[in-house]
Amino acid sequence: MKKISRRDFLGITTKIGAATLFTGILAPTASSFLGLGGVAHAARRSTKPFTFAVLTDAHLYDIKGHRFDGILERAVKEVNKISPRPDFLLYGGDLGQSGKKDELVKGKKILSKLKMPYHIIPGEHDYYLDMGEAWRDLFGKENWSFNHNGVHFIGMNSIKVKDFWSLKGLTPKERMGLMEELECHKCGLWGVGEPSLDWLMKNVKNISPSTPVVIMTHSPLWDYYPRWNFQTYDAPEIRSILRKFDKVIAIHGHVHQVVYNEIGNINSAGLLSTSWPWPYPPVDLPYPLIKQRRADPGIFEDGLGAHSMSVDKSFAGMLNYREFADLLPENLKRGLKL
Amino acid sequence: MKILKHTNVVLIGVLTLVFVSSSFAKPLRTEAQVAEEQEMLMKTVAKGDALWHNPKLGTNGLACGNCHPDGSASNPHTFPKYQSNLGKVGTLREMINWCVAVVLQGSPLPSDSDEMIAMEAYSTFTHRGVVIAPAKDEQHGAVPVVSGAGYPSR
Repeated sequence: MKKISRRDFLGITTKIGAATLFTGILAPTASSFLGLGGVAHAARRSTKPFTFAVLTDAHLYDIKGHRFDGILERAVKEVNKISPRPDFLLYGGDLGQSGKKDELVKGKKILSKLKMPYHIIPGEHDYYLDMGEAWRDLFGKENWSFNHNGVHFIGMNSIKVKDFWSLKGLTPKERMGLMEELECHKCGLWGVGEPSLDWLMKNVKNISPSTPVVIMTHSPLWDYYPRWNFQTYDAPEIRSILRKFDKVIAIHGHVHQVVYNEIGNINSAGLLSTSWPWPYPPVDLPYPLIKQRRADPGIFEDGLGAHSMSVDKSFAGMLNYREFADLLPENLKRGLKL
Repeated sequence: MKILKHTNVVLIGVLTLVFVSSSFAKPLRTEAQVAEEQEMLMKTVAKGDALWHNPKLGTNGLACGNCHPDGSASNPHTFPKYQSNLGKVGTLREMINWCVAVVLQGSPLPSDSDEMIAMEAYSTFTHRGVVIAPAKDEQHGAVPVVSGAGYPSR
């Protein structure tokens, strides 16, 4: 039974389980075969079980009493109530909307109410007014890593676009304004960039392949929908650097939705925002069963939520989408196995 | 046989009528005229796109494009329909104004204003060719567009 645990990724009823397994067989990517051996190894490495929380995409505005402030405050309260208390929280970027320091200061103040430490990465909305200066002042390094209970955690800035503003003579505000549009055509694709690839290579160089790895980026590490930058252009390089590991769990913000994929040794999941949900891009997903329900525009907190993830001793992760309104289909209510 | 003959006579009559009447019909538009009309439409669509992404329609920083990139999930082709937030069968323009007033906290646009027509044009243009289907429980899908070519002006 353990051998198929990789495919049996949902904590679910038998009926849905069969359907999911069937999907896996119907669409067996090369990667889902490649990964099988890796999981068996991963099970040998022992992890001390723990829980961590995840929040992302608050998109706070520099406007007093804005309703997104209240949603982030609610998310912080929900995370503080999780029992047992998460050891720490990961924040996936886009804390602010227009890159203003005041937005980030407000966000930091709300996050300071967390009853646990947090680790944060920037999103494009935090960044392109001053190229991350205010963000770095407040939060420190854009790429970081730490070890917790035998798991190696990595956070990376994945939203670096090539300079599209200098030649056009755009002001920082104009540059930010363009980046704020999801479908910005002038901005181009983003990624972590070469210096960060070098950083990652050095970071994992001396870490043994049996070490469980969790990586958080703002954007997905696979080509989901490049038109909306639901991608990271150098994700193939990142995946090849991480290929030596038996198992990697990748979580990302930016997409404002429940989405899941497996690429090689990487299980990847998208997160709910605390601002607004997005429609699913017009692409065929390899795991179409793992989708959230349609959000009701009349209910502001529909389609939004917080998350917690528990990691067991064999590095099986269970991601719980803690949605604010009832948006999860039955097969996701008990969590997404990663 | 007799019926067939009768049918033929009617058919010839109809064809004659069509031929005669077509000679009085409005002349076909020239390619230049078609291009000009298309240009007018695309100008309106572009104006709608700018408004769609303009937070100045509201007061809380949000624009329509925040939730509806590429006009996605605005589903113009499905209106008029029952809309729970309107509490009645409403039009796309009523829905747009609901979003402007409630979500963006702005002032509703006059229903027949150039601005509203432009917003409707943008939403509708991004959904050209999309088949009308009843809503599913699943979260909305987006409109398929080729990257960088949602429409020619961008």
